[in-house]
Amino acid sequence: MSLKRVQQWATFARVWHIYDAAWQNPFDSAKLLRKHLMGMHKPIYHPLNDCGDHVIVINSKYIALPGDEWKKRVYFHHTGYPGGASWTLAWELHTKDPTMILKKAVYNSMAGNLQRRYTMERLHLFPDTEVPENLLKNVSNQLEQLRPKPKRLDHYDENYVKEFPKLIDLPKDYVLR
Amino acid sequence: MPGVIRMCASGVNPKFHIILQNALEVGVIHGFGSFKVNVLSDGIRTFSVTANLRIKEIITIEDGNHIRITANISESDRKPYLVKNENDRACPLCASGLHVKHTDVLILSQFVRSDGCMLPRRITGLCSKQQRIVSSLVTMAQKSGLMPNLNPANSNRDPQKRYKWEKFNKYFDESTIKWK
Repeated sequence: MSLKRVQQWATFARVWHIYDAAWQNPFDSAKLLRKHLMGMHKPIYHPLNDCGDHVIVINSKYIALPGDEWKKRVYFHHTGYPGGASWTLAWELHTKDPTMILKKAVYNSMAGNLQRRYTMERLHLFPDTEVPENLLKNVSNQLEQLRPKPKRLDHYDENYVKEFPKLIDLPKDYVLR
Repeated sequence: MPGVIRMCASGVNPKFHIILQNALEVGVIHGFGSFKVNVLSDGIRTFSVTANLRIKEIITIEDGNHIRITANISESDRKPYLVKNENDRACPLCASGLHVKHTDVLILSQFVRSDGCMLPRRITGLCSKQQRIVSSLVTMAQKSGLMPNLNPANSNRDPQKRYKWEKFNKYFDESTIKWK
């Protein structure tokens, strides 16, 4: 009996997830975050069933955009007054607020209904790894990153780079700069 | 130039009798300050007695009035870690069967000079297609700041201090490379 009772609690509990956004595409990540924020990964999901989870996103400053999207992607804003239109490039927006691109990506990935603002309240964005202790103590799950985080060449151990299998050898008399 | 070349440095210092062994290129000798002698009249080719090229180990032996200078070509430090190419027709990268991505900096750095330039094809020994693909991948890796120690001298070595939009992380799609 008691097992069923705990299952009942666990079903309707709000789980707290943590997601590391370093080197992740914000628009691919938005789909994953939306799923967990709305509770679509749960078998009891229904649009009228308020079963969404909380997600803490860290390192939103270190998101990665493909190719030259930092200077090609444009965010539009209009104040409502004549001549109030403004276009901001992605890198400009990211310099002003390093969480804004990810926030807008998640917001725009959801349908524009009355639930959207309340669902966004469950998303906690942080530009780096500094998260308040009272939020961090709730976390019980980590969401897997969508892309592997690349490692820089100068962050490898020097011996490891030297002893890594080599595909080519240089000619005997070649002077390497 | 095979064999032993014996020459007298007349006018500078009469006690210098230099025997050069294994000297492949002998022409103008420099590296001894003002000591400069023309040995061969046809053409001027440079030969250095100091170890500035780092491909030869210079050994100096003194006995009496003679100084014997020997140059040994030193072994490549890649030799013990070299992957053997079993296929006698394919280039090293084709034969390895690897699908290299721009994040595989440990592989890409083998085809790059210390200033971040791609090595020419006569040195890498790659087929023309792989040479073009690898040079694109090297560019991608450098632009995403994954090889900051192998970058052109004018670029910022810390990727997070680069110019405006260049300081943010970016990745590339390998399917956008023109050559398949």
